[in-house]
Amino acid sequence: MQQLVRGAALALTLVGGMLTPTVPAWAQDAFRIAGVLPLSGAFGIIGENMRRGVTIAIEERNGRVLGKPIEVSWDDTETSTQVAVQKTTRALSREVHTVFGEVSSGSTLAMMKLTEQRKIPQLITLSADDRITGSDKSRYAFRTSNTVAMENRMIGEFAQRQGAKKLYAIVADYQVGRDMWAALKADFESRGIQVVGVDLAAIGTKDYAVLLDKALRSGADSLMLLVVGGDVVTSLKQGADVGLAQKMRVMGTMLMDETLGLAVGPAGSVGVNSTLRYHHTQDTPRNKRFVEAYKAKYKELPSQYAGEAYDGMSWWLDTVESTGVWDKEKWVDAFRASVRKDSVEGEKRMRACDNQAEQPGLFGVAERAGGDGPIVMKVTERFGAASLFKPCS
Amino acid sequence: MSTFLIGLSIAMLLFLLAAGLTLIFGMLRIINFAHGAMYMFGAYLAYQISAASGNFWLALLAAPLGLALLGALAERWLLRPIYAMPHEFQLLITFGLILVLEEAVHVFWGLSGRSIAPPAALTGSVEWFGTAFARYRLFVIALGLAMVVLLLVGIERSRIGLIVRACSVNPAMAAALGVKVNTVRTAVFAAGAALAGLAGAIAGPMLPIQLQMGTTIILDCFIVVILGGLGNIRGAVLGALLIGMTRAYGQQWLPEWIDMLTYGVLIATLLLRPQGLFSKKERLA
Repeated sequence: MQQLVRGAALALTLVGGMLTPTVPAWAQDAFRIAGVLPLSGAFGIIGENMRRGVTIAIEERNGRVLGKPIEVSWDDTETSTQVAVQKTTRALSREVHTVFGEVSSGSTLAMMKLTEQRKIPQLITLSADDRITGSDKSRYAFRTSNTVAMENRMIGEFAQRQGAKKLYAIVADYQVGRDMWAALKADFESRGIQVVGVDLAAIGTKDYAVLLDKALRSGADSLMLLVVGGDVVTSLKQGADVGLAQKMRVMGTMLMDETLGLAVGPAGSVGVNSTLRYHHTQDTPRNKRFVEAYKAKYKELPSQYAGEAYDGMSWWLDTVESTGVWDKEKWVDAFRASVRKDSVEGEKRMRACDNQAEQPGLFGVAERAGGDGPIVMKVTERFGAASLFKPCS
Repeated sequence: MSTFLIGLSIAMLLFLLAAGLTLIFGMLRIINFAHGAMYMFGAYLAYQISAASGNFWLALLAAPLGLALLGALAERWLLRPIYAMPHEFQLLITFGLILVLEEAVHVFWGLSGRSIAPPAALTGSVEWFGTAFARYRLFVIALGLAMVVLLLVGIERSRIGLIVRACSVNPAMAAALGVKVNTVRTAVFAAGAALAGLAGAIAGPMLPIQLQMGTTIILDCFIVVILGGLGNIRGAVLGALLIGMTRAYGQQWLPEWIDMLTYGVLIATLLLRPQGLFSKKERLA
């Protein structure tokens, strides 16, 4: 008899549970964003800048979306993919509505596997690996920033416009670096630029003097520096000792900006040409408002990382707001079809085929403000989106 | 020729850092895991002094003195109480010191990298045999060689060196003869920290001044110390030359294999001569 009663109670509970309308636990008390970024380690400064950009994006809408407060939790990945995966797993267990991050493409790709499984939107505003919106793309992961292919096209176009004839390359020895170089080399040669030499340098190389010496003695008129993180500072600082930027046309992707100029110093920075993800001088109303708000809060001009983070997050939140509903599938569908006419970089258009934002590209050269002031980037070339992106097939 | 000189400059920087580490081990039997963090702190201190005063030479003098003070305080209050304890405590204490120094740098200087401009006389390059060679690297070589002579003479020929060696070999006997062993230990740790600070100040114009700079160089430093033999200053000189030249010529001919070459030298040494390539039975410091 007792067993019968217990069985009936269990059956009633199960049926009752199935019939009760399910309201997701995360739905409507707050809009939760998990910022999973390196806030320490080699990329800590980049993560910190991105956090600032997101903070401005949230503050300008008074910290609310869909009528509810926005709650952001910041998880430090310590510039480690393993930690990024752990932190993302924990964030997803907190039932967040959006994941933001990361910096390194390896970490981002690893996080995408998790957010795709859990069907949580992920916003990417820095990692450039083509696989993110290519072979490994996900319905839930969106990139509003540059891709490797886009940066490569800008570099090739720039080198050709500048009349480069012979080029030497120093390339960071990791998979993205090698892939990028392979594509660039083919592009340079198709433009009639002769590649006279290439050296692969381990990430974290402490001394670039020998490699720079080889480049200078190669007879090349241009140097492609495809290095990352602290190696940018090391190579350019040591290049200053031998007048590198005065003897060769130095160029690279994200090779120089105001933040790096501070670390490298004027002697190593002036004359360096670089792709720019974002620049504070862009003449758009939104960018002017953003720069004002950023300067007021942080007492300095926004970096590329801050600008792109602000742009991506404000676009995403505006899109969520426009749906008017607490339904992440609808948010995803809306974002895939969205156009950001007034982004801080000009018009950006999200492509539904790969969740990649088509956008213009910028190229700049480092110079000293006012002749002897701090390093600033002067925008020298602007590339339209049509020349930088192949149509969706 | 340029590759040789670049290798020599790398070697001298490594020697300055490794000399402090091997000095501390030779005397105190402590592997100072915070040595890289002290090097980093020295670089930041040098940056701050040169930025405030506009004088690189003042920074070069003051940063090692600041690290010497830090080293003396660390030895007196952190290490002296645990000499009699198992080695794990020393490891934990020096590791804790790393975290404290890194956080201090984070609080005072933030996450952005910094840069020290070399003095005007040391900027630019000289042309030798058709190659531009940075003046600052020549200075690093000259200073490094001067420190080699100073340390070797100081440890092997001076009364102070005799006392230091006596305290390392038989502290009880040295104490019985009236030597203040604790004071000598503090002085040695301070000297080792000062050398780390000097290396940081020297590196400032050449390398990025950033939070991770200690971590990236300390591995090569340990390799130099292991190659040369723990506690062996002469060995540190030769070990630094070996690693410096391996890195320079490796970059010239086999840049993709440079780490493999460097660690290959280390592995071969550990397998064939684990006491160090240049180690003698008696310790010099």
